Amino acid sequence: MSLTPSLKPLALAGLLSAVAAIGGCSDSAFESSFAYSEGTLSLVREAREGTKANPGVKKLLDDRFGDPQQLKAWEKMPIDFGGALTSVAEVKQSESGSQVVKLTVEEGQSLPAKAGTVHFMTGACEGETVQVAQWNAKTGEATLAAISGNEIAAGDSCVIDRGAGLSTGRMLYMRHCSHCHGTSGDGNGPTARYMTPKPRDYRNGVFKFKSTNDMSKASRDDLSRIVKYGIPGTYMPSFLLMKDDEHHAIIEYVRFLSMRGEYERKLVAELSSDYSQTAYESRVESGEKKAEILQELDEFLAEDLKESAGSLGDDLAETWTTADTEEAAIVPSVPREANTPESRRRGRELYLSKTLNCADCHGIDGAGNGPQTIAFEKNPAKGDELYNEPGLHDIWDNLNQPRNLQLGMYRGGRRPIDLFSRIHAGIQGSRMPSFKNTPHEDIWHIVNYVLSIPFETEPGATGVAPSAAEAVAVPAAVTVPVAE
Amino acid sequence: MKKFWALFFFFWPTVAIISCLIAPSRGWWFPSAPMSRTGIQIDGLFYLILIIVSITFVGTQYALGYALWMGATKDSASRAHFSHGSHKLEIIWTIVPSFILVFISLSQLDVLAEIRVISKFPEQATKIAEVTARQFEWRIRYPKPGEKLTTEENPGDLYYVNELHVPTGKPVIINLRTQDVQHAFFSPQLRVKQDAVPGLVIPVWFDVLEVGNYDLVCAELCGWGHYKMKARIVAQSQSSVDKYLKELEAEQNEDGTKSEAAKSDE
Amino acid sequence: MATVSPALDAHGHADDHSHVHHEQSFISKYVFSLDHKIIGIQFLMTTLIMLMVGGALALAVRWQLAFPWENMPVVGQLFGLFRSEGGQISPEFYTMLFTMHASVMIFLVIIPILAGAFGNFLIPLQIGTDDMAFPALNMLSYWFMWPAILCFGCSFFVAGGTAGPGNGWTSYPLLSDLPTAAPGSGSSQTFWLIGLTLVGVSSMMGSVNYLTTIINMRAPGMTLFRMPLTIWSMFITAILQAFALPVLTAAGFMLVFDRLGTIFPTDIHSVFFIPANIIVNNSAPTVGGGQPLLWQHLFWFYSHPAVYIMLLPAMGMVSDMLSCMSRKPVFGYKPMVYSMAAIAGLGFIVWGHHMFTSGMNPALGMTFMTSTMMIALPSAIKVFNWIGTIWGGDLRFNAVMLNCSGFVAMFIVGGLSGIFMAAVPVDIYFHDTYFIVAHFHYVLFGSTLFGVFAAIQFWFPKMFGREMNDTVQKWHFALSFIAFNFTFFPMHMLGIAGMPRRYADPYLHGYLEHLLPMNRFITLSAIVMGFAQFLLLGNFFYSIFRGKKVGRNPWNANGLEWTAPSPPGHGNFDIAPVVYRGPYEYSSPEAEAIGQDYILQTVPHVKGVAKFAHH
Repeated sequence: MSLTPSLKPLALAGLLSAVAAIGGCSDSAFESSFAYSEGTLSLVREAREGTKANPGVKKLLDDRFGDPQQLKAWEKMPIDFGGALTSVAEVKQSESGSQVVKLTVEEGQSLPAKAGTVHFMTGACEGETVQVAQWNAKTGEATLAAISGNEIAAGDSCVIDRGAGLSTGRMLYMRHCSHCHGTSGDGNGPTARYMTPKPRDYRNGVFKFKSTNDMSKASRDDLSRIVKYGIPGTYMPSFLLMKDDEHHAIIEYVRFLSMRGEYERKLVAELSSDYSQTAYESRVESGEKKAEILQELDEFLAEDLKESAGSLGDDLAETWTTADTEEAAIVPSVPREANTPESRRRGRELYLSKTLNCADCHGIDGAGNGPQTIAFEKNPAKGDELYNEPGLHDIWDNLNQPRNLQLGMYRGGRRPIDLFSRIHAGIQGSRMPSFKNTPHEDIWHIVNYVLSIPFETEPGATGVAPSAAEAVAVPAAVTVPVAE
Repeated sequence: MKKFWALFFFFWPTVAIISCLIAPSRGWWFPSAPMSRTGIQIDGLFYLILIIVSITFVGTQYALGYALWMGATKDSASRAHFSHGSHKLEIIWTIVPSFILVFISLSQLDVLAEIRVISKFPEQATKIAEVTARQFEWRIRYPKPGEKLTTEENPGDLYYVNELHVPTGKPVIINLRTQDVQHAFFSPQLRVKQDAVPGLVIPVWFDVLEVGNYDLVCAELCGWGHYKMKARIVAQSQSSVDKYLKELEAEQNEDGTKSEAAKSDE
Repeated sequence: MATVSPALDAHGHADDHSHVHHEQSFISKYVFSLDHKIIGIQFLMTTLIMLMVGGALALAVRWQLAFPWENMPVVGQLFGLFRSEGGQISPEFYTMLFTMHASVMIFLVIIPILAGAFGNFLIPLQIGTDDMAFPALNMLSYWFMWPAILCFGCSFFVAGGTAGPGNGWTSYPLLSDLPTAAPGSGSSQTFWLIGLTLVGVSSMMGSVNYLTTIINMRAPGMTLFRMPLTIWSMFITAILQAFALPVLTAAGFMLVFDRLGTIFPTDIHSVFFIPANIIVNNSAPTVGGGQPLLWQHLFWFYSHPAVYIMLLPAMGMVSDMLSCMSRKPVFGYKPMVYSMAAIAGLGFIVWGHHMFTSGMNPALGMTFMTSTMMIALPSAIKVFNWIGTIWGGDLRFNAVMLNCSGFVAMFIVGGLSGIFMAAVPVDIYFHDTYFIVAHFHYVLFGSTLFGVFAAIQFWFPKMFGREMNDTVQKWHFALSFIAFNFTFFPMHMLGIAGMPRRYADPYLHGYLEHLLPMNRFITLSAIVMGFAQFLLLGNFFYSIFRGKKVGRNPWNANGLEWTAPSPPGHGNFDIAPVVYRGPYEYSSPEAEAIGQDYILQTVPHVKGVAKFAHH
């Protein structure tokens, strides 16, 4: 059916004959744009858009991450942008005078069938991307479209079609993910508003269910588990049957969106105290001259921000790189305690104990109905103001009540190690704190107890003495907890 | 022009028949041969009906075309044939189709009973798993190896998602249920379809004839992500299924230290 | 008793016998009119507009299936609904598109265009009376359509424009029952249900009126078996409607009561269809003891007969038109009547064939299979009789004839594909695949709408005193017919290939990927078909004002309506008709005797004519 690709223009012509003037109709799929965060939009115009001489937040961000049609691969970021790593074996001139570079791959790997660009990683042309006019996949000879100003030498390493993986990731993301998680990963796609809980907003770089310690980001493996197995109890479905390379591409793209969002936040954080619209207005009110503030902003953009733009990226890269190392992973120091009635009883004691106080949120029976769920919580974004509705909230300001452990539904996975990690590192973004200082044996006891809750015939049937239940200090029904 | 229109009504059923004849070679036909015993029976009944229907289709469409052709070629002076109908013809075309329809209907009963009537399920069929549909995935629960599947969950149960492993060559039963709205368990290659109705646990039996991966999709509108319920049925030998369940059990009891221990053993 | 001479060219005594005319204001004449003809034309205009709305929705559905997730023309960017997504629609928007396509087409086009438009216009004219039995009720039945349209319209927008009701026109609970189960299950679903109920009220008013009128107000001599088949079909449809509809209305109210929280801020609601312990969208487990299957039984108890409500009137009208255009009596008039009655009777006991995979008791499945198979029998008899009617006729190859032949040809396909679904084991495979979509479009579009296209042209002169351009209608027929078959015939293959209905992106599944080219072809055909309808609309509206003026009986037909002026005034007939014969005496010896190939129902018998004709 080779005729079919030509059907779309035909169909379009048919459909649009009445509305020809409307909208740019393009053949490129998923044409869209990244939204800027509220933080960026709260800055004064000059900080946002830049001054005559110096770039503002938007440009700094776009220069490094691009827009959906033209994604940029900022080499600082620990992202597998995709593409085939090769090295230059030989540089020749073709008969027509254009430069021909013969590329080789490492043994065991093969040259890609197509090549659009070559990006140089080392040598005189480092950082340059050159278009390929002709590509011979058998010999590895690439005829370059333009002659580089710098000299290409044998031994230079380069990448064919750098960023191809990221583009693949974007296409997959737009097809499978964007209607919930949004084009820019802000968790605000068109379908998102009908969901409880809300889809993740990647831009904080915070992921809830991960196997790394409380200070670390999620590893690639963690993200992969979520994509593969879904999150029971939410609308995040399992994408188990996606191919491995598709999984990889999607995860890299999610990490890309996450880094873009975080980088934007960091840039905004540099500026917001002095140059947000509100700060600017109050400064003007307190007598400062507009022109002086803007002059100062211009200098700040020219020196401080230009300087920190790079180091902020380094910091960001480091945190993401660490997440995939052993250093970040949670490894219990002791194997899981045998799942015996004694262990479960011990677990329940700990669960009810004053020090751990799990029942304060999860309830005495694990039904997720502890006193905190009916208390009014402080809204950190609004100072001392309380939320309108009772219960616990996450950092995205959504009501996020503690899990009902009786349902046997474990969002981050039901393996003992998953529950261990949840208790050890807490759940970032939510009010589930980290219990990393609790002895690992004790955590295992709690895990054993928690896993037994759905099968209890009556509360505490794991064999807890009544005195233990009394030991828990049950707060008065409605208290306003003191936010830390 | 009259003749053109009469031919028009000859032409289109011809195109329809030709397109049906070339369809299998173009992949516009069943996704695969039936991969279960009931599937083979279903296909047999389908082809039986297809033959009867095709003959009727050709007969009636060409009769219509011919009647128009007669009208188109009629000499303009002659009048229409005045008739209010024929009692004899009415009786013939009432009785003949009714026999055919009753025949089709009766030919279906045995297969229907075999597929749906619980007392007629194959005796040796075992319950292997509970399949719970939810928006928008299939949650699978196997009993702990060696144990029997019960409607209630048990502590040793094994859980997975979007992938159901079944042994080949023997009838198996799954308990089908839904956690939220209505879904339907549909495997096109196995020709199995059953709705999962809220509040009900419905046993479904099938046997897979060959080792392989078969699609499992949702066939009852279940919300915006209806099309996303992509899963598969992995059919393999009984020993492979046992091995798989063992591995799943080990994976499910993973405590994050064993792999470390395994490393140090090496 | 040949005292009345209703000769066509009887001039001079217009208004003599009709009711006294008095000047009416524009509003009471054309808007809140009590005249069945105006009401019929109001229904016709409204449904033609709705036809275009429903068609646009269908094209949007087709766009997504051909070019999944690509910038959708018009909706993608123009309304700004999905601008941030680059015009890529959301999946719940897709569910809304097919839901509203079906709802609009079924409830606002097909049912009202048959019963509302043609039923209203034709019943009094064909049985020879001056108006409906209850003119005010008749007016109300039209004006209840508008609140219904308004409710359907509201349901698009109450959820923010990107998610209207998205549970299919069948609205199976729990998806349609729990407000959080789907983006469109909130107040938009409630609006949809209220709209549905209002359509039901409108239909019920019509039914009561049609039944009373047909039973009580026939002209002298118009015995039941002298009624045109159109009237028989309207009569049987009205019976179906009157008995089946209350069940749907009740079910609709039950669903509304289950969803009381979407109307008032209350936690009190019934649980007719809600079982216990269902967790949807992370909400608290439901409390209940209801049964979702109950809705399916109640819904299909109405909606299967409704399929015949959407078909029988077209069958009746086509019988009339085929007879006229073949210049030949309908072949087997009584078998036609009996088979329609049989379809209606059996129609009440076949609803379970929509539920073969639902987990219903298999013994019921067997019963429903047999009854469903048997309903094919009267349909087959009708097809044979239509072919018999054409056979040996003196055919008039105009667009009316072509559309009627198209009706018969398409009905054969729709009927035959139905046999696959009646057979339970085969239906297990085909249930909810595109095979079903192909089947019911052959019946509802292929049959009913081609019948309607013919009927519009056939009775147009009676409505407006002018005729439609036949050449344009032929072009319209050819384009529609070819594009229709290119659109829907391949859908049988999609179904056999296992493509489920209502998938926003079927190509996610490996075994469906290769069907994309075929879906593109279908979409292209659908676009052609959609735009072909502008020929009909253009011709229709142009002809109202500029069409060739014609007399009372341009088709040389026999029915009573052709003895009335075109268009008939308020009160219809200038001479109260008296009926002497059946409606299909084309080319009869008596007609020949007076030198015509038709003889009006009002022409009295002349002694010795038969003998005379044999000379």
